[in-house]
Amino acid sequence: MRTEAIDPPGIAWQRVSPRYITVRLVQWALGNLVAVLVLSLPLMLVLAGVWVWPPLWLAVTVPAVMLLVALWRLVLIPRQVRAIGYAERDDDLLIRTGIFFQRTMAVPYGRMQYVDISVGPVERGLGLCTLKLHTASPGTNAQIPGLPAAEGARLREQLAARGEARLAGL
Amino acid sequence: MTADGRFPDPGTQSGQPLPALPAPAAESPAPAPAAESAASNGEWLRVHPASPFVRGWVALAAIAFFFGRDIFERSLQGRPVFEEELAGRAPLLLAGGGAVLLVTVLGFILTWYFTKYQVAGGYVRVNTGFLFRQQRQARLDRVQAIDIVQPLLARIFGLAELKFEVADAGESAVRLAYLKMDDARQLRATILARAAGVTTGTEDPGVAAPEAPEYPVLAVPPSRLVGSLLLSGQSVFVVAATVASVVLSAVTESSAFFLYLVPAVLGLAATYWNLFNKGYNFTAAISPDGIRLRYGLLDTQAQTLPPGRIQAVKITQPPLWRLLGWFRMQVNVAGYGLVENAGEGSARTTLLPVGTLPDVMNMLALVLPDPGTPQPAVVFGAGLTGLDFAGGFVTTPRRARWLAPLGWRRNGFAATDTALLLRSGRWWRQLVVVPHQRTQSIALHQGPLARLFRVADLVLHTTAGPVLPRLTQAGVDEARTLFDEQSARARLARKRQTAEQWLRQVAPAAAEAVPVAEPVRTTHQQEGGQHG
Repeated sequence: MRTEAIDPPGIAWQRVSPRYITVRLVQWALGNLVAVLVLSLPLMLVLAGVWVWPPLWLAVTVPAVMLLVALWRLVLIPRQVRAIGYAERDDDLLIRTGIFFQRTMAVPYGRMQYVDISVGPVERGLGLCTLKLHTASPGTNAQIPGLPAAEGARLREQLAARGEARLAGL
Repeated sequence: MTADGRFPDPGTQSGQPLPALPAPAAESPAPAPAAESAASNGEWLRVHPASPFVRGWVALAAIAFFFGRDIFERSLQGRPVFEEELAGRAPLLLAGGGAVLLVTVLGFILTWYFTKYQVAGGYVRVNTGFLFRQQRQARLDRVQAIDIVQPLLARIFGLAELKFEVADAGESAVRLAYLKMDDARQLRATILARAAGVTTGTEDPGVAAPEAPEYPVLAVPPSRLVGSLLLSGQSVFVVAATVASVVLSAVTESSAFFLYLVPAVLGLAATYWNLFNKGYNFTAAISPDGIRLRYGLLDTQAQTLPPGRIQAVKITQPPLWRLLGWFRMQVNVAGYGLVENAGEGSARTTLLPVGTLPDVMNMLALVLPDPGTPQPAVVFGAGLTGLDFAGGFVTTPRRARWLAPLGWRRNGFAATDTALLLRSGRWWRQLVVVPHQRTQSIALHQGPLARLFRVADLVLHTTAGPVLPRLTQAGVDEARTLFDEQSARARLARKRQTAEQWLRQVAPAAAEAVPVAEPVRTTHQQEGGQHG
């Protein structure tokens, strides 16, 4: 992976599984296609002559724009998934996400309150899981999606052990 | 639990109470006489019998109102209390009303009977409820803050509610309502002493911790509070709205525009009143237990923030306050951010409703006894009012000045040995101070526009609260360096910070020799550690 400008130098990023793209595709389909279909309803009604308003151009434009946005998001998904990375350092876990809006986060092991692993239906089918870290701060929105189940379990044990060793009070 | 509803005390299981050991003088923070108290020796105690009535007076008042108003009106009009056709059923109606009253009162008595609390073995336990029972226990060494609240009615009866926040409980506050004022203060002293690890605690039942001595630091005079409200942003809104409606009325020759203002005026009056009521008679004091804040006109509240429990501080100055050099201070404390009532929450997270620069420096000295810099007045002063590189601040690079044409000379950060200072806002001045050992996690953010100008935002995550530490538009290299350095500094600070029990960190005998304004927190206190 190309190291972006805000990433600390010299980090060997671990990537999430490419199968996670499938999960994102399913999420994309559920969200965007439904939205496009709903927005196309007026168009169909106008074409069928049931509705007089809105005018045809408006009825065409709205779902078309939505479709374009949806396709743009679709094109981005593989790159977004490739941009997710994590790295275990000596004292903290680094997580990076995003292409346009990049975020690099460091969560110290000593600050972790607990570690969650969640598995959705599509993830289960692909043997993936999502790992989520919680600190005392609600702002720590640290999750690593698309981990292979074995890697997720290993990481959880590893984080729990390291957190135990370095646990500090609030 | 034994039949009489008490846990057998570990010290008195044989039936022979152990003689209370005299507490060695070195173990108490002050040579005050040790008072006798049942609360500290593990007995199950009940709250004051009047508490459900004080809490549920609204229900009683409602019943009295519904029955009383009708009777009152009828007797005023000279009509019989009951209509002719209902007169035969009067006893039934009276019995019905009486039953409602009886059930309510019975409910109150049962609620009181089944509410019990105990302080023992490093825990506070509170049992409530008779249909759905609840036992809540809180570890004393995780106490984040402890409040004594007196609503008006409780104040009339000399009662008080004790409320404490514990970091490890999902539900934020543990409440004990109501206790006698003296009992509440005694219990607060006991809990704080146990939490601090001062006394041997459970080993010598019957000896309650003496209240720690406290020294006043500052008070906010009512005139300044009123002035701060008059110069607040909503006053500007009030003036603007008044001018607008007058102009509109004059132009359109109709007075209907005033009608739209009625709900707004009511809302604003409520806000003003709330701020005045909560901020009235604000005083701050310091004791070995921590920072004590007292405030309130009708409902009074006394907060205690133990040392090192403040996660982040925000100092703000709206543009109009600059005329008089006033500042406001707000804090993040674990547990405070999750309060259900927004008005109450904003009062509790206010460290100083309005204060001058020396007041702010005094409060900062309490929050951060070791500023970690030899020139605290210069550094923190630059953080409050400074521009550019004064005081060692690193600001937004010049190339990104078009992203924040006004703020770029002010947006910046400075790190001392103990805290990170984040400065922002040219007109709405703001300084956020986060002690290094309180940082939870750190993140760098960069959007497309920021990438174009080669800047990035750095966000520090702390517990929920009004303070959201964010460094905006720092140069990429500076931000990345800070990201690494801050991780390292936070790691070091965490290692230095040891126990939750803050007085355990120093020799107990040293507790008495501590200077007035320096609460015992760390073993590496510097000389000249005072701000300002």
